Amino acid sequence: MFLENYGFLIVAIVQQALLGMSLWYPLMAGQLSLASIGFYSLGGYIAAIMGTSPAFAAWREALGPALYPVEWLIALAASALLGLAVGIPALRLRGIYLALATIAFVQVLNVVVLVLDVTGGAVGLFGIPQPFESRLGYLWFFGPLLAVMLIFSARLTRTVAGRSFMAIREDELAAQAMGIPTTFEKVRAFVIGCGLAGVVGAMSAPFLNTWNARQSSFDASVACLAYVLIGGARSVWGPLLGAALLVALPEVLRPLKDARLIMNGIVLVVACIYLPQGIAGLLASLRRREAA
Amino acid sequence: MRPFIILLAGLFLANTALAEPVGSPIPVGIAVGQTTNVALFGEEQVNGAKVAEKLLNEKGGVGGTPIRLAFQDTGGDEAGAINAFQNLISRDKVVAIIGPTLSQQAFAANPIANQAKVPVVGPSNTAKGIAQIGEYVSRISAPMTLVAPNALKRALKLNPNVKNVAVVYAQDDAFNVSETGIFQEAIKGMGLNIATIQKTSVKDTDFTTQVTAILGAGVDMVVMSCLAADGGNMVKQLRQLGYEGLIVGGNGFNSPNMYPVCGQECTGVIVAQAYSPKADNAENKAFSAAFKDMFKKDPAQFSAQAYTSVKVVVDALNEVEKSSGKKIAEMDTAELRTALNAAIVSSSYDTPLGEIVLDADGEITQKTFYVSQIKVADDGKTGTMELLPE
Repeated sequence: MFLENYGFLIVAIVQQALLGMSLWYPLMAGQLSLASIGFYSLGGYIAAIMGTSPAFAAWREALGPALYPVEWLIALAASALLGLAVGIPALRLRGIYLALATIAFVQVLNVVVLVLDVTGGAVGLFGIPQPFESRLGYLWFFGPLLAVMLIFSARLTRTVAGRSFMAIREDELAAQAMGIPTTFEKVRAFVIGCGLAGVVGAMSAPFLNTWNARQSSFDASVACLAYVLIGGARSVWGPLLGAALLVALPEVLRPLKDARLIMNGIVLVVACIYLPQGIAGLLASLRRREAA
Repeated sequence: MRPFIILLAGLFLANTALAEPVGSPIPVGIAVGQTTNVALFGEEQVNGAKVAEKLLNEKGGVGGTPIRLAFQDTGGDEAGAINAFQNLISRDKVVAIIGPTLSQQAFAANPIANQAKVPVVGPSNTAKGIAQIGEYVSRISAPMTLVAPNALKRALKLNPNVKNVAVVYAQDDAFNVSETGIFQEAIKGMGLNIATIQKTSVKDTDFTTQVTAILGAGVDMVVMSCLAADGGNMVKQLRQLGYEGLIVGGNGFNSPNMYPVCGQECTGVIVAQAYSPKADNAENKAFSAAFKDMFKKDPAQFSAQAYTSVKVVVDALNEVEKSSGKKIAEMDTAELRTALNAAIVSSSYDTPLGEIVLDADGEITQKTFYVSQIKVADDGKTGTMELLPE
């Protein structure tokens, strides 16, 4: 009963956490980017087109269920390449200008998608083939990816690359003075995020049954950023904790009817004021207090 | 270990489909967008459904058993629609779902209901392919295939000398993109020349570029597929910059929200409508009177379509009760959902939209459409849509 009703929600939390994570990497290098949602959209379109277009009928026939991993790989490659192309010029910008440039990039992508025929215009693509009977089955897509990314993130913080990211975040000039190639590292952090967002998009198209230009709205960009900030931008677990709270809350509050979004807003405001380091920061300080 | 096994067994038993009776009152689900920017339509749908609940229950509901509407907000996105559907299916245990508001949401959520074998009636989904999502999906919102050419014919009656036409459409809105396709085909079919095609966005407020291009093309009719706010603004700017020819608006213009946006400049705009509050049939008279009584204004198209959806479900429930000879409230939910779906399709219904027929796929054929002309009152904020004579 519980799983039947909340199966979709549980998978949606993992999916959104992964999207939050794709912003977490650039943030780790101190770069505020809102481009992830664009790559998410791109990955979703790749999967949706490969799943529905008659041009790919032979592929679907030949590959069977192996089509899905192929979609992820193509989405990964396309997103990483486009991320590189966008990242190199965009990452010369800093702070608010970088954020604006990435918002503009997503807008451009949206207009392109609305004009093209292959993306189904404003209606989008639908009737995407389903690998699983129930929504909960999609945990087999997103669950392993989340596990891999969590391990990757935890390892990253202990490698030269990860430490360079953090050095840039703390002080870009000092990092450069110490010999860290800052532009290269920033682009690297950005491209990791883009690739991840692309793969999540490719997994999400069948999960949502349909794909359209509304997936990469400005609201969605901001939601992803909120997962990281509310969850805790300094912790590996931040995006997951943030997504769990922000995605589940409106659903758990459903019995409140019209009041649910008001409650949702209040919780967010309280979290922003009292949890500057996010939920992860709160948990860490609780643990420290217990140890003391 | 043993309590754990008992618990598991208990869960398993609870999970298996024990025959669950429908119960009284009979729960019918409404999943529309009551929040986000879709709420503009969703609120109208909720109002229409509430009138249906009151009016149809007063008429005896289903063989004396009343219906109860269960509302779940879908918000404006696809995930919200899926969540709302899941809640209606497994928690509210509804016999059928009416919703969601947008076609894109329908493509996401309807397959879930179809898999769970719960009938869905789309109150406002007009995109191609909705009724084909599955066996359990039908819709009562017709694409504009018939009304668009009709509106053009009426416009030509007002000015038979029209030769050159400008087409405008909001390219980021699914409904308007499909509607403009129908308009453009009809224009060509009537031997008129499309002098220019201008694309807009439903978020635009400034249309100087498009208006200049239209004025430069020297057209004598502008055919617009936009929503109320953007369309209203564009009509205003067309008139203010000196355009004097005919303006034909699509179904997006069929909303009282047009009047305050463009004021007097809207007067004379011809509107293709899937529903008119002035429609002359008994169902509509009863519905609009009850609606006016409850909300002190004329019903909008979205309200009439929501009412129609509830009526289709209630009529089909009555049909099931009559043909099976069993009380609906005592029937098993899963069994009833299947029987109900079979009764919904391949039937005709008397509704405020006029007579409608659902085919075996659940696709609608609407017999009557309406073409009206906007008349804005002197205050520039209110107005009416006067039906144009045949």
